[in-house]
Amino acid sequence: MPSHPLRVAVVCSSNQNRSMEAHNILSKRGFEVRSFGTGTHVKLPGPAPDKPNVYDFKTTYEQMYNDLVKKDKELYTQNGILHMLDRNKRIKPRPERFQSCKDQFDLVITCEERVYDQVLEDLNSREQETFQPVHVINVDIQDNHEEATLGAFLICELCQCIQHTEDMDNEIDELLQEFEEKSSRPFLHTVCFY
Amino acid sequence: MSAVSGDPGGSRTSVASQFFSGVDDSAIDMTTSEKVVDLLNQAALTSGESKLTMLKQVQELIINKDPSLLDNFLDEIIAFQTDKSMEVRKLVIGFIEEACKRDNELLLKLIANLNMLLKDESVNVVKKVILTMTQLYKVALQWVVRLKVINELQEACWEMVTSMKDEIIMMLDSDNDGIRTHAIKFVESLIITLSPRTPDSEVPKRQENDISLERIPKDHPNVHYNSLAEEGKKALEQLLKFMVHPAISSINLTAALGSLAIIARQRPMFMSEVIQAYETLHANLPPTLAKSQVSSVRKNLKLHLLSVLKHPSSFEFHGQITTLLLDLGTQQQEIARNMPNIKDVRKRQREEAEPGLKKIKMEPALAEDEDDKDIEQASVPSPKPSSTQGTQSAIDITAEFLLPLLNAENVANLVLISMVYLPDTMPASFQATYTPVESAGTDAQIKHLARLMATQMTSANIGPGVEQLKLNKDLPKEEPDAKPESVLIKRRLSALPIGQAISVVGATYSGQGRGEEDKQPLAKRRPEPIMPSAQIKSTGVSGRKKVFRLADVIQPLSEAQNDKLKDMSIKRILHAEKSIARCGMSHVRVKILSRLVTQFDGNMKGDVVEFILEDIRNRSDLAFALLYQEYNMYLSEYPSGSLDSYDECLIGLLSGLQEKPDQRDGLFTKLVLEAPLITETALEVIRKYCEDETRVYLGMTTLRDLIFKRPSRQFQYLHVLLDLSSHEKDKVRTQALTFIKRMYEKDQLRDYIEKFALNYMQLLVHPNPPSLLFGADKDTEVAAPWTEDTVKQCLYLYLSLLPLNHRLIHELASVYTEAIADIKRTVLRVIEQPIRGMGMNSPELLLLVENCPKGAETLVTRCLHILTDKVPPSPELVKRVRDLYHKRVPDVRFLIPVLNGLEKKEVIQALPKLIKLNPIVVKEVFNRLLGTQHSEGSSTVSPLTPGELLIALHNIDSTKCDMKSIIKATNLCFGEKNVYTSEVLAVVMQHLMEQSPLPMLLMRTVIQSMTMYPRLSGFVMNILSRLIIKQVWKYPKVWEGFIKCCQRTKPQSFTVLLQLPPPQLSSVFDKCPELREPLLAHVRSFTPNQQAHIPNSIMNVLEANTKQEVETVEMKEPEEEPRVSSTRAAVPDIIAARLAQEKELKRQMEEEGRTKKQPISLAAALLDEVLEMQDEMLDRDEDALILDPSQEVNTPNLKDNPVESENSEIHADSEPLFLDKEEPMEEQVEDPPTVPVETQEVAEESTTEDKKEEEL
Repeated sequence: MPSHPLRVAVVCSSNQNRSMEAHNILSKRGFEVRSFGTGTHVKLPGPAPDKPNVYDFKTTYEQMYNDLVKKDKELYTQNGILHMLDRNKRIKPRPERFQSCKDQFDLVITCEERVYDQVLEDLNSREQETFQPVHVINVDIQDNHEEATLGAFLICELCQCIQHTEDMDNEIDELLQEFEEKSSRPFLHTVCFY
Repeated sequence: MSAVSGDPGGSRTSVASQFFSGVDDSAIDMTTSEKVVDLLNQAALTSGESKLTMLKQVQELIINKDPSLLDNFLDEIIAFQTDKSMEVRKLVIGFIEEACKRDNELLLKLIANLNMLLKDESVNVVKKVILTMTQLYKVALQWVVRLKVINELQEACWEMVTSMKDEIIMMLDSDNDGIRTHAIKFVESLIITLSPRTPDSEVPKRQENDISLERIPKDHPNVHYNSLAEEGKKALEQLLKFMVHPAISSINLTAALGSLAIIARQRPMFMSEVIQAYETLHANLPPTLAKSQVSSVRKNLKLHLLSVLKHPSSFEFHGQITTLLLDLGTQQQEIARNMPNIKDVRKRQREEAEPGLKKIKMEPALAEDEDDKDIEQASVPSPKPSSTQGTQSAIDITAEFLLPLLNAENVANLVLISMVYLPDTMPASFQATYTPVESAGTDAQIKHLARLMATQMTSANIGPGVEQLKLNKDLPKEEPDAKPESVLIKRRLSALPIGQAISVVGATYSGQGRGEEDKQPLAKRRPEPIMPSAQIKSTGVSGRKKVFRLADVIQPLSEAQNDKLKDMSIKRILHAEKSIARCGMSHVRVKILSRLVTQFDGNMKGDVVEFILEDIRNRSDLAFALLYQEYNMYLSEYPSGSLDSYDECLIGLLSGLQEKPDQRDGLFTKLVLEAPLITETALEVIRKYCEDETRVYLGMTTLRDLIFKRPSRQFQYLHVLLDLSSHEKDKVRTQALTFIKRMYEKDQLRDYIEKFALNYMQLLVHPNPPSLLFGADKDTEVAAPWTEDTVKQCLYLYLSLLPLNHRLIHELASVYTEAIADIKRTVLRVIEQPIRGMGMNSPELLLLVENCPKGAETLVTRCLHILTDKVPPSPELVKRVRDLYHKRVPDVRFLIPVLNGLEKKEVIQALPKLIKLNPIVVKEVFNRLLGTQHSEGSSTVSPLTPGELLIALHNIDSTKCDMKSIIKATNLCFGEKNVYTSEVLAVVMQHLMEQSPLPMLLMRTVIQSMTMYPRLSGFVMNILSRLIIKQVWKYPKVWEGFIKCCQRTKPQSFTVLLQLPPPQLSSVFDKCPELREPLLAHVRSFTPNQQAHIPNSIMNVLEANTKQEVETVEMKEPEEEPRVSSTRAAVPDIIAARLAQEKELKRQMEEEGRTKKQPISLAAALLDEVLEMQDEMLDRDEDALILDPSQEVNTPNLKDNPVESENSEIHADSEPLFLDKEEPMEEQVEDPPTVPVETQEVAEESTTEDKKEEEL
């Protein structure tokens, strides 16, 4: 087990539901975790599928919360958005965009293939500096509350296993294979370098 | 992890600190120095997180805040490189990196430490060193280039850097995935550094000032441009080679793909290699990748292809890249979006002044190669790939060659052929990569197909492209090719494609890298290719390198699957018989089959055996191979090995053969004889074979061959055959006996056979037949009595050997004496054939007769009978029997068989005893003596003529034999009318009559002869007359008979009667009064002349009696009422006559008694006998009288008296008749009384009549 704690990033599209659920659980389990979104904007469900609520990444969760309460408290209470935002604002003030973060991680976990592609694209487009490797793993999670919770636990378990490996670089391949089998879902996995 | 901030920040800080130090130098110096000392002291005492924090502070202080302190505290910091904590060691490495970057001269001091840490036991430390070296290599190169003059120390330092570089490149082969990943990045950076930056190179801003090859002066005294360029290229080759390793991990592959993309963009001169590597990889994804890994890799490939596509220098490869991207499922728009600006391209084209290159066709890979060589040789840095140069890559050539060939028909055929090689299940890589061919049949698609095939063919080292390149290479240059390393590699390569099915889908090996190897003489310095074997070996140590662990790649098969697969493969080999035979490789098949089958358990053996048996004639070689292989297995584990498997195989084959109807091919025999070992069970099968009546000959022939050809176990086999000799089936037994008899002639087997036979016979002495005879499984019947069958079972073998070895007869004799009666009887019955076979001249047989063991008399007798049954006894035999009889066992029965060989005297001597025997035996004796026994009868010459025999009978001393027996004997003679003709009888009578004293039975014989032959009456009269002369009345018996005879022959006898002296005549009348009248009448009928011849005395007798008669009749009449009137006056006379007669007899007996000194009691017995005889005579007479009806009226008187008076006697006598059987033979004392009699009977009857046996 490496003596330093694993630096983990959990990435979804809007840094609201899936990444934040995982962020919540991982931080409770003592990981040095951060969460991000890869979208250009933060999108929350609106009154109709084609009318989402769109914010930029500078907007705080608090502001979103208030905004939605103002718009239709009942609807957003019923679909759990307000509850989610309430939780989020207690974790950190505002959503963060992965592309804007220059910090280095040991492990980046994405929640959707599209997000994974974006993360790879971003990482590969960065100029290399330290050649420090970072593992990027995609765990497909549907964007709803239940799946987010289940996915968060899976991510947490995965992180715990990786944290416990003697030599992460060497063992991660095998570990992922085992996880794939156990959870019977495929993981995309690659390595990038800072 | 390195928490060091980026360079810009670092330099900012340092600038600031310098500025600071300039302002307040001493104060800060003091405090910083003190602080550092303090922190270092604390760090040395603590551990864990706080220690790291302190050291990080120190690093910050002396590198960024006050670099002047670096020298002071360098040693103290470096001392932590041996710290227990891995993190501390990593921190030291980070410190070294920063320190060296700040002060390049420190490399001199610190490089050795880094070198040491490169060999650290912790992989994380090693990884950190690699990362550091990725940075420091550039720093070191820059430093060395800067030095105008290089001293020894500096040179050594650079050499160490170089060697570390080499070491890290080697780490591409490390066991650890992470280390390999880091090594890839190092190599990537190295390639960038050691290749020239060109105008079209993409240059990351941060690395703008980094050194690369173009900044190195070509004439630099310390560093050689060319060799560095060469190193760079070699590094690329290493990387490419690494990438095509079939078992590369997905992480490594991802990393390498990324590195290649970076290389391609930053050093477009390598674009061709990179694209080709991508192409190859796409077609040959490592088979070890899991499904999700495949998608990850493909995603990466797509990403990097797009990034390469963006680069303007990739223009020439757009066709290939686009095809690849389409194959990877990229949307057309996305590709278009990533295309570089057309304008840029045009501009570039103009710049390059190569407008002719319109085609999206390939930039020849080798062109690069050639290009590089040119650069190298000419020492001219060529910034861009000279695509105009003529040589095409092998793939291009082959693709062009293939293109026209890909017509519909050929392609269809290719598809059909490759169907065979398709795996059963779709590989993950295929499943992931499959995209429906959209543009099938179009030129573009055909080109693509041609290129794909060309890639594969080049990998497999075939096709016109490869050929041509070889030619090219061989021509001008490439001494390196001749280097042994290259040769070595080539050899390996050439071995590779043989087993490789070239299939786009299932290909597991990418030969691309090896192809490169072939094309480029790269193996100068580091000839070690990535050897899968080495990898596999190494996995055992680390256990972490997933891709090389066989167990990860393959799933253990279940037991059932295993068996099924084994079965199926064996079956396939089995049934490939014909096709293999056509290739003339049958022997190989046979070998493989036999080895396989023997090595695995399971029912395959049964299958193979069954298969062999289906057509045993043609598959015998397989049968033998199998058998020998099994035996070999047994031997290899000797002595602990088990024969079970071999046994099973042999039995399977043998019993299988047994079930086959057709046996003419002799395969059974062949199999048995050539089998390396005959096991017990196999022997059992052979035995069964022998017991099968239809196979008995074959089985026994085999067994015989075994006996002769396997001397070591000869007796075991022989035993089986011997066992069969008592088999219940006739055919089997006979066959076995025939074989044994033949074997008996062999000296080495003789003893064993003999012993066996004798042992078997010895069983007969047991009171009950041993279980052995019933087979081992019938133990329960031990108590069963001997039956004829069981007895015979014990004797078959012995009896068949007997004629071959006569000496064995003695054993039989000894067994015989001990055996019970039932057995004896059987023995006597069965020995006929062998004894006859032996013949009477056999010395052993003679010896037996001579020694005749006690108790074996019947046996010997039986032998004698058998011998003399058809043939007269030899003098030798007779002599032995005679000796035996006289010296040892005076049983007359011994003599019977040899009677004809005895002398007359001996026969006569034995006669009394002989006739006392059982009537049947007596009959036999007479048959022999009279020569009536043998139908042919020719050779038999009886010592006695029939006449002599009869005479001898008459002359038997009545003290030696009772009269009854004699009478019976004579009756037997009379029974043989053919022999005893009237002539013979006449001679006999004549002879007897001349004897003196007269034999007692004379008159009986006379009467009987006359009855038989009435025409003898004249002769008899003559006899009677002569008897008168001999004073016949002196012999009461004869006299009685005389009278009787006269009576019967009247009136012929009258003449004779008249010759009697008067007293005798009167006695005649006394006895037979009815004669008087006729005689008187007869005399009176004489002429007077004749009457005158009759003396008066006679006449007186004749006449006197007439008067007397009347008186007596009258006198007696009242007393004798019941009597018939005809006997009226005769009573007192009769009584007187009787008395007289008795008196006479007594006197006579007294006379005899005196002469023979016999006790009176015996005389009394004799009397009885005489009476008895008389009675018999009377019986006889009666018969005769009946035959003569004319005298019927007179007979009752005559008859009644004796019958009445002596009936009781006869009855009394009838008892002793049976005593006959208890004649004093020793045997009878010991044995049940009936046995000898019966055996005798058997002896006589068995030869002709079997029915009699049953009665016994």
